[in-house]
Amino acid sequence: MMRALAIGGFLVSLALFAVVEWAARREGSRIPTLGEVCAYVMRYEVGSVPVGRIGVFGFWWWLGWHFLAR
Amino acid sequence: MEQPHDLTVEAPRAWDRPAVAVPVLVCLSLVGGRFPSFSVEANLWTLGTGGVLIWLGLNNRVPRRPAPHRLESGAVWWTLPVVVFVVFEGATFVAAAGDGFPTFSRLADPLLEDRLVRSATWLAWLSAFWGLVRR
Repeated sequence: MMRALAIGGFLVSLALFAVVEWAARREGSRIPTLGEVCAYVMRYEVGSVPVGRIGVFGFWWWLGWHFLAR
Repeated sequence: MEQPHDLTVEAPRAWDRPAVAVPVLVCLSLVGGRFPSFSVEANLWTLGTGGVLIWLGLNNRVPRRPAPHRLESGAVWWTLPVVVFVVFEGATFVAAAGDGFPTFSRLADPLLEDRLVRSATWLAWLSAFWGLVRR
């Protein structure tokens, strides 16, 4: 029962990612795509240090290592 | 002379074209898919490919698509899938109930044992990484 709840919750989450991305790609949508959100976050800098880029790259690197190397 | 961070380079390099980038990503993914979890090779391949992509992403060698200066109000919709995922990941992680109430990682592990699924996941990871580098 709890296992099904967890699987269902994660599937709902993934489906919501897909639905919001689909909505963002419609003509005239006011929702930015996930890529645009990432690009906006990656613009953030502290002084000359691209903190946003480092943070997003670091997170994505860790995610790949987490699933594909361990 | 140092280039500004927002500079968008117009002239595409040969290796930046999809005809070059896609086969390279596919080859890297097929190699990565051969390495099982917890192996030294998998760790080195992940750290190596990710390290190169981060290096490319932090200098101005790769042309970037212009980033938006502000987000529209609809961006708040992205919190919905994120919150649902964080709630379930947090609950399953804190409960630490193993397969009875598994985390996302625990659910993914058996799927990633299949070499084809593993290679496909590698391709998705590297493709998204390449997309981020070009942002």
